[in-house]
Amino acid sequence: MALKPATNPDVEAAAIELTIDGRPVTAKDGVSLYDVVSGTGKIVPAMCYHYTFDPFGSCGMCLVMVEGKKAPVRSCTAKATAGMVVRTEGDDLFQARKKAVEKHLSVHPLDCPVCDADGHCELQDMAFLHQVTNLANAKQKLIPEDTRSLVLDFNMNRCIACGECINVCKDVLMIDALQFVKKGGFTQVVAKGDQPLSCEFCGDCLAVCPVGAITNKFSKYLYKPWQLQKTTTTCNYCGDGCQMYVETKDREVVRVTAPLSWKNKWGDRSETAKGHGGICVRGRFGFEYIDSQARLKQPLLRRDGQLTETPWLEAAGQVVDRLAAIKAKHGPQSIAGLITARCTNEELYLFQKVMRVAIGTNHLDSSARYGHLSFVHAVRRALGVGRMTNDWEDITKAKAILLVGSNITETNPLTSVRVKEAIRVYKAQVIVVDSANTNIAGLASHPLMVRPGTEGLLVQGLIKSVLQQDLVDEEATGRHPKAFGALKKAAAAVSLNQVAAQTGVSVEQINEAASIFAEALRSIVICGEGVVRGAHGYRDVLNLVDLAWVTGKLGKPGCGINTVTEEVNEQGAVDMGVAPEFLPGQARFDDEAARARFAKAWGGESPASLPAAQGGARLIEILAKCRSGEIKALYLIGENPLATLPASMNVKAALEQVELLICQDPFLTETGRLAHVVLPACTYAEKEGTFTNLEGRVLRVRQAMDPIGESLPDWHILTAIASGLGYQMDYESAQDIQNEIMKLLPGYYNLGQPRKLAPKPDAYLADGYATEVKSRYASLGTRQSSMKANRFSLLMGQLLSHSGKLSTHAPGLIKISSNAGRLHVSQADMDRLGLGEGARVRVTSARGSLVLGVQMDRTVMPGCCFFPEHFNEPPVKDLMPVEVDAVTGVPSFKLTQVTIEKV
Amino acid sequence: MSVGALTKKILQAMLFHEIWDAMKVTFKHMFHRPITFQYPREQRTIPDTHRGALALLRYDDGRERCVGCDLCEAACPSRCIKVVSAEDPSLPLQRYASEFYIDITKCVFCGYCVEACPVNALAMTKLYEFSTHDKRTLLFDKTRLYQIGERYIEDGKKYLIAHHQEKDDQMSREYRYYFPQSVLKATQAPPKHLS
Repeated sequence: MALKPATNPDVEAAAIELTIDGRPVTAKDGVSLYDVVSGTGKIVPAMCYHYTFDPFGSCGMCLVMVEGKKAPVRSCTAKATAGMVVRTEGDDLFQARKKAVEKHLSVHPLDCPVCDADGHCELQDMAFLHQVTNLANAKQKLIPEDTRSLVLDFNMNRCIACGECINVCKDVLMIDALQFVKKGGFTQVVAKGDQPLSCEFCGDCLAVCPVGAITNKFSKYLYKPWQLQKTTTTCNYCGDGCQMYVETKDREVVRVTAPLSWKNKWGDRSETAKGHGGICVRGRFGFEYIDSQARLKQPLLRRDGQLTETPWLEAAGQVVDRLAAIKAKHGPQSIAGLITARCTNEELYLFQKVMRVAIGTNHLDSSARYGHLSFVHAVRRALGVGRMTNDWEDITKAKAILLVGSNITETNPLTSVRVKEAIRVYKAQVIVVDSANTNIAGLASHPLMVRPGTEGLLVQGLIKSVLQQDLVDEEATGRHPKAFGALKKAAAAVSLNQVAAQTGVSVEQINEAASIFAEALRSIVICGEGVVRGAHGYRDVLNLVDLAWVTGKLGKPGCGINTVTEEVNEQGAVDMGVAPEFLPGQARFDDEAARARFAKAWGGESPASLPAAQGGARLIEILAKCRSGEIKALYLIGENPLATLPASMNVKAALEQVELLICQDPFLTETGRLAHVVLPACTYAEKEGTFTNLEGRVLRVRQAMDPIGESLPDWHILTAIASGLGYQMDYESAQDIQNEIMKLLPGYYNLGQPRKLAPKPDAYLADGYATEVKSRYASLGTRQSSMKANRFSLLMGQLLSHSGKLSTHAPGLIKISSNAGRLHVSQADMDRLGLGEGARVRVTSARGSLVLGVQMDRTVMPGCCFFPEHFNEPPVKDLMPVEVDAVTGVPSFKLTQVTIEKV
Repeated sequence: MSVGALTKKILQAMLFHEIWDAMKVTFKHMFHRPITFQYPREQRTIPDTHRGALALLRYDDGRERCVGCDLCEAACPSRCIKVVSAEDPSLPLQRYASEFYIDITKCVFCGYCVEACPVNALAMTKLYEFSTHDKRTLLFDKTRLYQIGERYIEDGKKYLIAHHQEKDDQMSREYRYYFPQSVLKATQAPPKHLS
C-alpha cells in the first residue's frame, strides 16, 4: 500500500471534500483518513501510527465511525474518499478504543516502575486516558529479554506488536534489520534471523517504540523521564548537524534523543524531505565522552619536562606572557594557529579575529582544509557560491543523484537517509561512483564500482559520454560557445575505452549513467571524501561542475553540486574566515574593500592594521614553517595534527621545534602531550553558540550542563588571551560575539534557514574557463594500473560509528566498533592470498611497512584494503604519502598503493 | 445592685470562695492517674499507624525490596528523597537503587513515599529518637535506612498493614517484581504466582 506522500514534486494530488464531525474538510486525494482527521487538529489516539511511514493498522485505536458502515473503522488504513461523513468522537468510539487498550494491556506486564519508558509510554497514557482498570484476563508472557545486541535491549514482554520499529527501519531508513517472529505463542520483534542485532544502530526503533519494549543499553535503569533536563542542541559529529536533545541528570548526560519519537507522530510524509527527525549511532550513543573521566579538568603547564596541573591564572598568564615575548622578539608572523571545525561559529570567528588583530598574523587554518576547502574553492571559482547549492529537500526530491566518492551512509548518515528517501519514496535513480561496495551502492540503481582514485577519471568519462551521446543542453552551452568549444577540445583527449579500462566500469555503464543524469528533470551531484580529499579534489569538483553545466543542470530548480563534510562546522569555519585566503563571509583576504571594512570594524585605522594581504600560511605551510623555525609559537584549538597527518609530514619534528605549543582541547591528545601549555576546553554540550551545517543552515548549540572541572568554553579562553595581549575584548557571552557577526555579516544567521544560492557560472565560463579547462582534462592516461597479485590500494576512511578522533573517546562507540587493529580485505583477496580471519600480513608502501592482522569486509572491493582513519594503532596512516593541491593547499593522504604479504 | 446579690458577694469574700473554687481543680487531680510519664525512662505505646523514621525493607530471603523506581522521589512533597537507580551489577537486568538518600531534616513525615512504593520497600517505623549533635548524620543513606529496616522490621510491617498497603507477608511476595531473564543467562526464576 503506497498511501504517502499524496503530493510529489511532479504530481499534485486532487482535492476532495468530506465531512468530519459535521464540518466540511478539504483534503488531498489518496491520503489516509487518519491524516485528514489529524490535519484538522483533532487528536485521535493511535499507537502504531507514525507519519514517516505508511499506516500499519495493528493497534486498533484510531477508530472512527464512517456513515454507511456498521462498525467503527480504523482510520489509518482507510483511504479518505470524497463525500465521506466521519465521526471521531462519541461514547461508542471511546468504549471501542478502551477495549483495544484493555486487549494490549492484558498481555503487557505491569512493571511500569522499573521500565525505562515509564512516564514516556503511550500505552500508559492510553490506559490512563481511557480509565482502564479491568485486567481480569491478564496474562504474563515471561519472555527472556534479548540482551545480545550491543546497544539495545529487547524486552518483548512489553511489546504491543505495533510494528513501528520494523516500519521505521524498513521504510524510512531502508536498513530492514528487524522482523516479527511468532515464538512461544506471541508475536515478537527480533533482529533479522533471530540473531544478535547487527545494523547501523541508529536507534530510531528505540525512539518510535511507544512502550518500553526496546530500551537503550547505555542508559538502562538510570533515569525516569521526568528527572531529565532536556536541552535542544546540535550534534557535533558530522556535517549534517542534526537537531537533538541532550538529556542530563545532575551533572551527567544520561541519554540523547531526537525529534523523531512516537510522541510527535502527526505530520505529512512530504515534511520528511527536510529530515525525518532521527539521529544516527554517533549522535544517539556517542555522548559518553562529554562527562568522561579522561576529560581535562585543569590547565597543564610543562615544568621540568612534565605536564603539571596549574591554576588557570598562572597557565593563562604564561600563555599571554610567552606569546607577547615571541611577538616582540620575532614579530607576529612567528605565531600561527589551527582550529578544529567542531568549534562554534562564534569561536571560529573569534579565533581568526584574535589571530589577525590581537596577534597580527595570518597563519591560521581550520580542519576544513582537510577536504572541504577543495569543494569551496572549486565552486567559488566556477559558480561564485561558497557552499553546496542544494538542501536536504532538493536531495530528497531529486530524480537522479550522482554520488561520487562518498560512503554517505557512514560519513553522513542523515544525508544518506535523504538519498534513501529519494530512492524509495520519490523513485530517484542513484548513480554511485565509489571504490567500495558501500551500503548506498547496494541500494542504488546504478552502482559503478571504480578502481580507487579513479573517481575523477570516471567523471571525465561521463562528460565525454554526454558529449558523444549528444545529451548536451543547447541552451546552457549555447550561451558560452567559446567555453563549450574549449571543453569539447579538452574532452577530445579523453577516450571512453581508456576510461573504462582504467576505472573498471564498462563503456555501456558510463553511457547509461550519463544519459540518466542528463535526462532527469532534477539531477543532483553529491561528491564526498573520495573526491574532495583525493589528490585532484579541486579539479574533479570543477569537472563535476562542467558535467552539470553541459547537461543544463546549473541553476535549474532542484539541481546542483553538493558535498558532504566530516566535521560539523567545516562550512562555518570557511564562512567565518578561518583560512588565510578568506575574511569572514568568504570575502577574499586580499580584497581591499573587505579589508577596509573589517579593519574598521575591528578597531583598526586602515586595512594595513590587518596582516599583509599575501603570505598567510595554510595548514601544510604552517607545519613546514614550524619545522624551518620560522614559526615560533603554535596555538592549536582542538586540532591534533600529530594523530591526523602521516609521519612523512614530520609533524612531530615541527611541533618539537616550536618554542611555544599551546593545545586547547577537551582531552589530552597526542599533540597535547608535546605541548608546553594545555588548556582544558569545553565540549559542545557545555557551551552556547551556533554550527553551520553542510546545507548552510545555522543551528543553535545550547548549554546542557555546567563545564566539567575547570574547563572553559573556547571563546572565553580566547577572549581572555586577547585581552591579556592588550587587545581588550568585552564579550561576556557567546551571544555578544554572535551580535558582532550579525552586524558584520547581515543575513548570515537567517533564522536558521539556508538561503537559496543561485549558481553564477557565467563569469567563469566567459573568462578563464577556456584556458583552464585543457589542463583539467590533460592528466588523463598517466595513471598506471598495475595489477600484480599482491598489489593493493590501501584506502583510509571513516566508519559509521566514528567521527574523527573525537568519537574514540566515547566508550559506547568504542564498544560498538573498537579498533581491532586489522586491515579490512575482501573475501576474494583473503582466499587468493590464503589468509584466514585474523591472519597477520606485512603491508608495505613506499613510505614504510608494518605488520597487522586482516579481517574480511564485504564492502571492500577485490584489490583494495581499508583501514579506519580514526585509529592510529597500528599507525597505518604513516604508510600514506601526502600530496598537496597547489591551488587549494588541501593535503591528500587517504589512498596509496601497497603490497601485502602473509607473514 | 440588689440586696441579695450584695449579700452573696460579701459572703463569698468572707469565705474565700475563689480559693476553694480553684482548689477544687487541684483536689480533683489528686485522684487522677498521672498523665505525665517519666520519659525517657518510661516509653509511650505508639500506634501502628505512627509515622516515624523511614526504613527500607528486605524480603525474607534477604534481597532488597527496593527496585529503584524513583517513584518515592517523585511523590515526596518536600523533595527530601534522592534515588540513584542502576542495573544490579551482580544480577543482570535487575533494577536496584545503587544509592538512596532521605534528608530526614526536610522530611514532613507525610508517608506519601510509602504509599507510592510499588513493592512496599519503604515503611515508616515507630522510631522517632534520632536527634543528634551532628546534622550531617540526619541525611539517611541506603545503609542507614536498611539498618533501621532490619531493626524495626516488625514496626514496618505493622505500618504497612495498618495503612492497608499489604495484608500479610504473602501479599508482599506477590508485589515482588519479576525481572525477565536475559537470553544469555538465567538470572531469576519466575515467581510462583506468575508461572
